[in-house]
Amino acid sequence: MCIKHPEFSQNPSHFEGGAESQANAKIIETDYMEYIRGMKFFDPHIHMTSRTTDDYTALAEAGVVAIIEPAFWLGQPRTGLATFKDYYSSLVGWERFRSSQFGIKHYCTIGLNSREANNEALAEQVMEILPLFLYKEGVVGVGEIGFDDQTVAEEKYYRAQLELSREANLPVQVHTPHRDKKKGTELSMSIALEHKIAPDMVIIDHNNEETVESVLNQGFWAAFTIYPFTKMGNERMVEIVKKYGSDRIMVNSAADWGISDPLAVPKTAALMKIKGISDEDIQKVTYQNAIDAFGKSGQIQVSDFENPAEIDQSLKFNGNTVLRGGQAPKIDKNSLIIS
Amino acid sequence: MVIANQTDYRKQIYDVIKGNVSSIENEWIETKLKGGKTAILTAFVATPRFISKSEIKTDSNLNIQNWSLDQLVRIFFLLSFQSQNKEEYCKSIDLLFETAEINEYVALISALSYLPYPEYWQLRATDAVRSNIGPVLNAIAFNNTYPKDHFTELAWNQLVLKCIFNDKPIKEIIGLEERSNYNLAQSISNLAHERWAAGRNITPQAWRLVRNFVDESIFRDLEKLLKSDNKNDNLAAALVSLDSKNPNALELLKNHAELVQEIKQKNISWAVID
Repeated sequence: MCIKHPEFSQNPSHFEGGAESQANAKIIETDYMEYIRGMKFFDPHIHMTSRTTDDYTALAEAGVVAIIEPAFWLGQPRTGLATFKDYYSSLVGWERFRSSQFGIKHYCTIGLNSREANNEALAEQVMEILPLFLYKEGVVGVGEIGFDDQTVAEEKYYRAQLELSREANLPVQVHTPHRDKKKGTELSMSIALEHKIAPDMVIIDHNNEETVESVLNQGFWAAFTIYPFTKMGNERMVEIVKKYGSDRIMVNSAADWGISDPLAVPKTAALMKIKGISDEDIQKVTYQNAIDAFGKSGQIQVSDFENPAEIDQSLKFNGNTVLRGGQAPKIDKNSLIIS
Repeated sequence: MVIANQTDYRKQIYDVIKGNVSSIENEWIETKLKGGKTAILTAFVATPRFISKSEIKTDSNLNIQNWSLDQLVRIFFLLSFQSQNKEEYCKSIDLLFETAEINEYVALISALSYLPYPEYWQLRATDAVRSNIGPVLNAIAFNNTYPKDHFTELAWNQLVLKCIFNDKPIKEIIGLEERSNYNLAQSISNLAHERWAAGRNITPQAWRLVRNFVDESIFRDLEKLLKSDNKNDNLAAALVSLDSKNPNALELLKNHAELVQEIKQKNISWAVID
């Protein structure tokens, strides 16, 4: 017997708005690719480790050419240093390769996430190995770090990692908390400034209507996560771009092991297009701003993903990998016959 | 411990590097070399931040024509790191392996033959064969003398079979003919049977590895290959038969005189069969 807990009942989807919203939702679900044909996208926050090859195929088809995978909490706490080490290695190794198989350039940020910062004995050991990974090719920042419960331990390791970012001259990708977000966001920014980190080296993530103004006014980058139910809906995102413009604003999917949408960036671009936002603004918030912000790491060569002709076919198709025994990289999902 | 082979190789690489780097890059390398253990190992990791990825221009006979400059410099740093103490040395290199990003992993595997204590790296080498990261498997499989010199028969056969299974160019495996063996020939024949059952094929090139081991079962494979619609299958079977000195196989060729004639006239060898 189980008593239905209110927490388990589903929150209303962000598509459940008025008649206009419903109509838009339908267009986006069915025909949105028409609105974004030829556009390129950069998703600066997506956890591919938790996603399937179907998602990689869908990302590539929707025009996502490059992504950043921040190191994060895998859904349950790690119990030892070795699993942290293997996880970081997979972000610069296996996952990077898996992504390349679909023609998507994969970058990552490396850091100790806020939840696991609360296990201080382990956190100390993790801090020692972080520098081994921060200087790797394709590591475009320290992240995602910041506050979750806003504990003393979280603050301690946030500060320590800000120092690491300064030594390595890397941008910082800051996770802001679900609960007490406004306070956590302000605290994250003031601590970064206290450590003399330039605001244009800091991407404050998971913003909403309540936090965006202060983030932009202080000179930080403002990232918005389009994530069903718990974070931003993309209709609200359109309104934010209308109100604040496209400078220093970027959108991401933060797709992970939860109910999330890896196509959040292209879908939001389509909605912006439908709602009359200029192509230039769309390009900035779904592509260029992320490149400008994380490019400060010196690790992003746009030619790596802007010229698909240069994708190394041997790397892409000749590998022995997710594509086995000379398989074609794409499958027809409507076909009953599997050959 | 330093092996002579390593010292020579390191010096040759250094010469190539000097012919390719800018003065700023050269200065960075020199500075790192003067540092201690940590400086050199950190430089191994940080190389792409300071050295360009341009393709190397060289007329040296080192097999590095397709390498990028940063990869070559990485290997140079790896060979520049020395230690009198085996335990300390291996621990340091193990850490590089455990935290390696793809390009670092490729550099480490490519240099295995030139590292001291070659036997110690067996597991790293066979793990590279197990890797599903294409460039890592390529690094142990092709233009690398480590498998030929140090792999057991089982590990060797696994390497060759995996390359055949994944349609990789086995021609580029060093020691391919030298280390061919009966068990490998049987496995290749078995793999072909599985593929044929599924309506697929294996690369005709693979059959070169069975020519000294033609038994009754492989003889039947040759018969089948001679009837194949793929010209390269026919040529492969004919080449195996000619080389095998197996009387039955030679007898079989009497029905395919035109094929034998073509091989002789056009001087067809395994090098041109794909």
